[in-house]
Amino acid sequence: MTGAPAEPGEPSFESAQRELEGILARLESGEASLDEAIALWERGEELYRFCLARLDAAHGRIEELVRTTSAATPPEGG
Amino acid sequence: MKIAPIEYGDRKVYSVSAFNRGVADWLARLPTLWVEGEVTELRRHTGWQSVFFTLKDPADGACLPATMPRGRFDALRLDLVDGERVHVFGRPELYEARGDFRLRVLSIERFGLGDHLAALERLKRKLAAEGLFAPERKRPLPRLPRVVGLVTGNDAAAKRDVLSTLTARFPPAHVVVAETYVQGPRAAAAIVEALRSLCAVPAVDVIVVARGGGSFEDLLPFSDERLVRAIAGCPVPVVSAVGHEQDTPLCDLAADVRASTPTAAGRLVVPDLGELLAGLDRSRGRLARGAQRAVVRERDALALVRDRLRRAPVLAVERKRAALEQAAARLKALSPEATLERGYAIVRTDDEIVRSPARLRPGQPLRVEVAEGEFGARVE
Repeated sequence: MTGAPAEPGEPSFESAQRELEGILARLESGEASLDEAIALWERGEELYRFCLARLDAAHGRIEELVRTTSAATPPEGG
Repeated sequence: MKIAPIEYGDRKVYSVSAFNRGVADWLARLPTLWVEGEVTELRRHTGWQSVFFTLKDPADGACLPATMPRGRFDALRLDLVDGERVHVFGRPELYEARGDFRLRVLSIERFGLGDHLAALERLKRKLAAEGLFAPERKRPLPRLPRVVGLVTGNDAAAKRDVLSTLTARFPPAHVVVAETYVQGPRAAAAIVEALRSLCAVPAVDVIVVARGGGSFEDLLPFSDERLVRAIAGCPVPVVSAVGHEQDTPLCDLAADVRASTPTAAGRLVVPDLGELLAGLDRSRGRLARGAQRAVVRERDALALVRDRLRRAPVLAVERKRAALEQAAARLKALSPEATLERGYAIVRTDDEIVRSPARLRPGQPLRVEVAEGEFGARVE
């Protein structure tokens, strides 16, 4: 199993968080067997690390899109 | 004036001039009326007798050439700019020399506040009827957008407010800003274009349209049908933060979420990094405790099993002892001892218990057993 969430495709931070919530609910219900509980815990740790990595990977960046409107006259402010 | 055709046998044929004259006469019988449109291609030269412009339908771009005597136009002192919405009073005419159809303008009125309000209300009802503002169309905002798109005027306070809120709450935010006109006749088309370009940027998950407060007219582009439709049809969710709380441009109704201010929009589109990290850590703690509980539960169950195992041999011995005692009791019940207690005696010769006097001889020694012992005796 990899650290990525089960659902394919981006954005996946949400699906990772959702899966983590589901795992917590199952674990906290106390219905999981020992084997299942350990598997859930491992998966949960993976998801936790994945979310953290997603946050670490993001670098604050502000880009200006090249204006498609006429460059000769600057847009008025608002 | 009578327009007479030239006759070629049965065929009646009109000269170009006669045809134009005829059509012009017919057009001249139409009443004068009001036409609404946007003024474009305004041409006014001091040397010309007339002013020329084109009236354009903002909805579909249909065009109508118009002309007005320059003196009359100047007297109105309208100072019209390209793209401005007007009501024009005039009648259709044909410029006979060229066969050009056009509107002969007698008066122009700038589209007033009341007109704008009425037009806005009509548009609002039409778009609402189409379901563009329906709550079920609203999409949830992503919890953590990969890239945030921002449509705003350059150097605007709105832009600064959104950006500073975004970066304060979520320092790793990636924002792509599309600067555009946010007021004036060209604004609506420019904002639509800015939206489209942002949608083309990879990984843009949400778009904020931000503009600070302004006059009713300043905010009009944000109620433009093209822009409202573009926002409703945008492939990613749109947050609208236009004007102040009390202004409700139509783009606010079409957007997925309406923010009261640009700062509020910033808060809506990114999570608070600190809270997010704390939440993740809490989740991790719960995860560990959840797993731990399962381990403890299993260990307790195991300890119970071990106890039962350990007690098993002791139990087996005890069970055997009890069975033995029971057997002993039954044995006792069956022995003659109890009978002797009641006063009976057992009489034996040397080798057998005496059950009949027949085989006894006088003087023969006997052994008599009673409850508390035995003694000797002789047969008489």
